[in-house]
Amino acid sequence: MTAATVGRPRRSTAGRVRHVLPLALLTGVVLAIAILPLVWILLTSLTPEAEIIDGPAYVPTQLTVDNYTTVWRRGDFPDLMLNSLIVSGLTVAISLAVAPLAAYSLSRHRYRGRTLVLLLFLSIRMFPFLLMLIPAYIILRDLGLLDNRFGLALAYTTFALPAAVWFMKTFFDAVPTEIEDAARIDGCSRLGVFWRVVLPLSRPGLMATAVFLGIGAWSEYLFALMLTTSRGSRTWPVGVSLLVGEFQLPYGQLAATGVITVVPILIAYAFVGRNMVRGLMGGAMKG
Amino acid sequence: MTASEALDASLAPTGVRGRAMAFFETRAWPYLFLVPALVLVGAAILYPLTSGLLLSLHNAELLKPARNGFIGLENYQELLGDQVAWNALVNTIVWVGGGVLIQVTVGIGIALLLDGRYRGVGSVRVLVLLPWFLPSVVVAHMWAMMLDARFGVINDILARVGLLGTDRAWLAEPSTALLTVMVVELWWSVPFFALFLLAGLQGIPDDLVDATRVDGASSAQRFRYLTIPFIQPVIVVATVLQVIRLTNSPDLLNILTGGGPGRVSMTLSLYAYRTAYQKFDFGYASAISVVLLVGLSVFAVVYIRRSGVVQ
Repeated sequence: MTAATVGRPRRSTAGRVRHVLPLALLTGVVLAIAILPLVWILLTSLTPEAEIIDGPAYVPTQLTVDNYTTVWRRGDFPDLMLNSLIVSGLTVAISLAVAPLAAYSLSRHRYRGRTLVLLLFLSIRMFPFLLMLIPAYIILRDLGLLDNRFGLALAYTTFALPAAVWFMKTFFDAVPTEIEDAARIDGCSRLGVFWRVVLPLSRPGLMATAVFLGIGAWSEYLFALMLTTSRGSRTWPVGVSLLVGEFQLPYGQLAATGVITVVPILIAYAFVGRNMVRGLMGGAMKG
Repeated sequence: MTASEALDASLAPTGVRGRAMAFFETRAWPYLFLVPALVLVGAAILYPLTSGLLLSLHNAELLKPARNGFIGLENYQELLGDQVAWNALVNTIVWVGGGVLIQVTVGIGIALLLDGRYRGVGSVRVLVLLPWFLPSVVVAHMWAMMLDARFGVINDILARVGLLGTDRAWLAEPSTALLTVMVVELWWSVPFFALFLLAGLQGIPDDLVDATRVDGASSAQRFRYLTIPFIQPVIVVATVLQVIRLTNSPDLLNILTGGGPGRVSMTLSLYAYRTAYQKFDFGYASAISVVLLVGLSVFAVVYIRRSGVVQ
């Protein structure tokens, strides 16, 4: 059934191959479907515009970085990139200032209503995002934070924070309490234990959470489209989507912006990928 | 008494200040640690909920402020007679129901493939999850390019394999628009679904698997009588999360079809977003959102109850 079951009852080599081969092929197909579109968009971004218009090209006959330079010279794009970086950074900073404390409390203490609190944090996912967006628009307008990077980060925090709590709880659950008790016997306070023992031990988890939230904020599109309007705060994904309206079909440039969007995500993901999988799966098991 | 509590007792302090500290150290800290997040999240839930409900009872058009004010249930009345909304409801059911069915099936398949213990399975898991990390904007534009009638690779590949005679404009034809976006959505979000289910699969104890093997169960029997019952709770939770996600996120539809051609791919959440974003009619958009929230809540409660995961 699964590859996991392979090999335990000893089979002949031929039998094993017959059993494993279809699974390996299937895994290959799944991987190809997941990844080939990304390879294709990378190739397209390196193809001269003229060649793209000739029809579907898989491998360009000549490579060019023209698409990238054209995009970058569009003036506002470096600004949009900076805006996105700042908004993502702020979202991560605010969430991580608050979430680990709550997650530690939920991980270590069994009080009444604990499940309820966890469910509350989960239920925020259930909100039609428009029900969040409209009040966010009104609050931010009243605070003068509409079309403002900090305002957008605040709006993102409303859904980043609950996710961060769930994530961090998974990682704190994995830290053995014996170490904390030992530190407390040595005279360390609760906050001290949290700050000097638990947080350093959970650093990989903290990193994974930060990247997860960062990617979410970096990628977000519909909130940003509505809450930002000017070059001073508009984010990169919004800029990318507006590219289509302005030109007819700038395929090469569109592909280039796609690649530029994805590269930071891939780099961040490469650093923490496995821990992130762990955090997500932890949330899954207890969700 | 747990070891931690015994430790708390043995560290008992003296003096007023000492006792206040001790109170924090033993009793109060879990609550105090929780307060900041709870306040923020509570505000982020209660405020939108109340203001959304209130707005849905108001005429709140930002572009025509003169007519704004309390109108009772008028928005909901208008919604009942709104042909676009009814049509969007049908599309939402197809988009969510069909989407989840396909994703559960494909997701279980991929999860089983990822459950193996072969070399490099960790890398495979990380790589398969990649599409899920792409921003909706990139996913949408990338697929729009690949699906393009003239320059797109999809038509080209299908024609070369002999599956397609003439080029098709997948996103512009009424018969295929919604279905095509569903396929893109599948590509985008099934990795997460699979990872979720994988977490469940890995919770199956090895002895149980071995026991079924000793008893001579076939792979199919093991799948039917061990795997499925065991991961059923995870399937239920994953399904609920995915239903919520599909109902609430019109990103792909907004970029790929904009609800068209005509209104064949207009879902309720997209309709609400367009009402707010294009007409700035916050009252009517809120009413649609409240209906969505009620529908989702009813679904979640009934589905979780009936699946018997929570007593």
